[in-house]
Amino acid sequence: MKILLMDKQTTSIVSLLYSQSEILMKEVYLFERIDTAVHNDTLKHLTCIVFVRPTKENIDLLCKELKYPKYGVYYIYFSNIIAKADIKLLAESDEREVVREVHEYYADYLAINPHLFSLGINACSEGLTWDPVHLHRTVQGITSVLLSLKKCPYIRYQNSSNMAKRLAEKIREVLSKESSSFEFRQESNPILLIVDRRDDPVTPLLNQWTYQAMVHELLTINNNRVNLSHVKGISKELKEVVLSAEHDDFYANNLYLNFGEIGQTIKELMEEFQKKAKKHQKVESIADMKHFVETYPLFKKLSGTVSKHVTVVGELSSLVEKHNLLEVSELEQELSCQTDHSSQLQKIKALINNQKVRDIDTVRLVMLYALHYEKYANNDINGLVELLKKRNVSDKYIKLVYNILEYSGVNARQSNLFDREAVAKITKKLFKGLSGVDNIYTQHCPLISETLEDLIKGKLNTQIFPYLGNMIMSKRPQDVIVFMIGGATYEESLAVYNLNKQNPGIKIVLGGTTIHNFKSFAEEVHHATSGILMRYKIGKN
Amino acid sequence: MAGNGEVLEGFICPICMTDFKAPNHLTKHFEEVHNDDPEILKSLKDLFGKAKKKILKQDDIPETFQSSVPQDKRRSPEINWGPQEIGAITTHTKYFKDIRNARLERYAYETNKLLIRLDKLLNNLPSDPVDRKVHERAIVPWIDEKDVKLCPNCAKSFHLARRKHHCRLCGAVMCHNCTVFLSLGDARKMTSPVSIQDDSALSSTSERALSERIVRAGIGLTKLARSPSNGSLNSVLSLVNDPASGEQHFRVCTHCINLLDAREMQKAKQFAKPIVCEFYEKMRGYMSEASQHLAMYNKMWESLQEGETTYDVEDAQSLRVKLAKLGENIDATSKRILILGAKKDVQDPQEIQSQELRLYQMVRTSAMIFLKEELLTLQPLSSVEEYVALREERQNRIEARIAYERQLEEDQREKSKEQRKRDTWNLDNSPSMKVNQAPTVVTQSQGWGPSNVTSIMSSSMDPIIEQMSNLRAYIKQARADCKYDEVATLESNLRELQSAYFAMKQSNSNDG
Repeated sequence: MKILLMDKQTTSIVSLLYSQSEILMKEVYLFERIDTAVHNDTLKHLTCIVFVRPTKENIDLLCKELKYPKYGVYYIYFSNIIAKADIKLLAESDEREVVREVHEYYADYLAINPHLFSLGINACSEGLTWDPVHLHRTVQGITSVLLSLKKCPYIRYQNSSNMAKRLAEKIREVLSKESSSFEFRQESNPILLIVDRRDDPVTPLLNQWTYQAMVHELLTINNNRVNLSHVKGISKELKEVVLSAEHDDFYANNLYLNFGEIGQTIKELMEEFQKKAKKHQKVESIADMKHFVETYPLFKKLSGTVSKHVTVVGELSSLVEKHNLLEVSELEQELSCQTDHSSQLQKIKALINNQKVRDIDTVRLVMLYALHYEKYANNDINGLVELLKKRNVSDKYIKLVYNILEYSGVNARQSNLFDREAVAKITKKLFKGLSGVDNIYTQHCPLISETLEDLIKGKLNTQIFPYLGNMIMSKRPQDVIVFMIGGATYEESLAVYNLNKQNPGIKIVLGGTTIHNFKSFAEEVHHATSGILMRYKIGKN
Repeated sequence: MAGNGEVLEGFICPICMTDFKAPNHLTKHFEEVHNDDPEILKSLKDLFGKAKKKILKQDDIPETFQSSVPQDKRRSPEINWGPQEIGAITTHTKYFKDIRNARLERYAYETNKLLIRLDKLLNNLPSDPVDRKVHERAIVPWIDEKDVKLCPNCAKSFHLARRKHHCRLCGAVMCHNCTVFLSLGDARKMTSPVSIQDDSALSSTSERALSERIVRAGIGLTKLARSPSNGSLNSVLSLVNDPASGEQHFRVCTHCINLLDAREMQKAKQFAKPIVCEFYEKMRGYMSEASQHLAMYNKMWESLQEGETTYDVEDAQSLRVKLAKLGENIDATSKRILILGAKKDVQDPQEIQSQELRLYQMVRTSAMIFLKEELLTLQPLSSVEEYVALREERQNRIEARIAYERQLEEDQREKSKEQRKRDTWNLDNSPSMKVNQAPTVVTQSQGWGPSNVTSIMSSSMDPIIEQMSNLRAYIKQARADCKYDEVATLESNLRELQSAYFAMKQSNSNDG
């Protein structure tokens, strides 16, 4: 019989990967938090498995625990590199000789998809520079990713971003300090590319239409969990649903499908379920009953999946309907991909006056507009802000319009986000006419996919993305780890997924300080721009 | 066609006349090199688009297509990069233990010193208080009490009410509150080696009684050790204790008792095993047995469903019954564990509620999951008749195939001469040679071997009959052990043997 002792962060790390019943099958019956456990009863017949981050507080707590052990035997695992001095502290506390093993198992990050990880840091910067605590955590997170993937990469970073440069340097420091841990065979030319969210502020502003991204945008996924308690008349077991690709085949198969296709597959799922349910209805003979009992667990599982996804998709579509999201999204895509100032301005004004549209959607549109037409001579940012004020949009959101320009205006950006689209536009339109299936709601293609394509081809500009140190890799990379300071999005995850599919033999892993939706990105921008001198004044009309 | 008028064919750039392998190469080249002229590009692309639509029906889509059409991958689950290599691991166990051992050795040294002193003190302990004091001081040198102004433990000054006391083990001076009494009985228990204690206990009472006793002793000790902290109660107790039974105790300082206490705890840990553990181990035993049988059963079920004759339907049925019984056992044991929690709950509702009860509940839950996932999904067996039908079906299928193969061979066979036929006839007789070797191979299969079966038959009997009876005994054993794979191979051997025996007899009678 075992007990698993974790801290707050390792709890989320583990719960992302294993379901409770899976852990139960490994004879682990109790789960305790190291920072909250205040039990006096001792259970000496239990084996305690400790999985914690090597932080100061955890070491202290663990020392206390070992001095007065509640359980019989301890196996200690740290999720990252631990200092020798801390091990010494622990060893000196272990007077009862209860510790059997001490290891480092590197898993100091949230593994969301096979190609996507996050560090769960909301708002990593303040005043457009690193918050030192978060920088430390980020360095730890990335080193543990490198160790668990067994890579000692070349590092490239975005030259325009100070944050990227500092992070790159910090990581190299760790790599050279712990060089003995990083002696891996390097055949695949791994590369760590550090980019800054500030270079592409558009992606997190857009409404999403693929399943995973959409759920996160509209309902927020937190550690694979979606809170549905606000939905009217929801049954008790559906208040919080778990969406895990590991344990839910339907979800795994539909992660990257767009909303229309989901509707189709959910219909298929329903039909399959109804067929099974019908079979179950005619329980007449003993044989039927026996059959029912035998297949019941499977049936139950299926019905759980069905009701979960039907609820989620139902909620999504009601939100889409209620808030005119299709119309909003179409305009968002236009703003991000095409230049047509006057008609776009008209449309934005019309949507701001539409009471069905949510406040945050109007703010999104104005932010996109501001980003796009910042340097346009006749832009009407202030006029739109006035409209927002009239609508009684909260001050915080209105300020965001200026914050985003501060965060990532033309001056801060390295690549020209909107002109880039203009160049590609001709070809795109051509192909659109040809294929006829291009979706107007998914025109936008995140900047990262272009950057990565260049990188794979070995054409990424070494001025814009220099190598750290003097070394320059001549061969094309096969293993790429992209890390986005300021958070990645599920749209980018999808882009990376597609790149992986299209380029067999190349592995790209995307990471971010967090995974953003609009709300969390608004927080990020708000934090990042707090405490700096605003160049763009509110109401300079 | 010669000279300047040479006709170029293929995908040729109209501006720089370079030849390209594929249309998408050409368009790419165009975009990169000649993108100053969108008109030509457009017309070129239109041309290609039209041509492609007509000719290729879009069976090779250029890369640029895919990036602009992100939802072209229907029903594509996560990327499969194959099993990931396990990440780097660093072990600190050795370093940890080195440090710990260095530290613990010091403790161990002190503890041992105390134990040796305790042993000496207990030896020939005089009952007279004055003699006893002399005895004690002879073994442990006492610190001169004049040197001590304050109690070294609580830093309080000594006076009439707070008198000086000597610890009998280290000789230090402490106040009353910082010392405890170690009863002679406990002291004896501490000094006697574990093994002796073990033996004596086993001879008189059961093991559980022993463990309980030790646990009780341990609890008593901890209470003793902790009592100094709640001073007022202790002083009252001491008034009762001191005069009446002073001889039966050693006064010991808290420091020493802690060391001894820790050692006792270590000792007790080896014996302290609550009842849950017994139940739990039993349950795990059932589970591992069940999962073993389950794998076997599934194999049998599949084979039977195929209509093969490797396994017996009855065997499968009995295995199923056995599995059901195991399931019941798991269920019952886990329920008992749950009740264990409930019972304690009544006695001490608040404390148990927390972890222990939760533990029992989780054990029960895991048992339920195991039953649900593993045992409830057991494939039902069809009746014997159905299997006969299945088997016939398979037989028919095989026969049909054999007939077909024969047909093919027929041609060849016709060509072959009579001599060859004779050869095959000779081969038919050969099984009798094989038979003698077969059983020896069988008994070694997969780590299972029948325990020695005493040969009932006398050696004078026919060796083949002896072999057959041996085989039968093996089969019986294998079945009892649920080794149905072995049963199957053994049975096929037996059949072979029987047929060989039969053939031999017949040939014998023919000869005679």
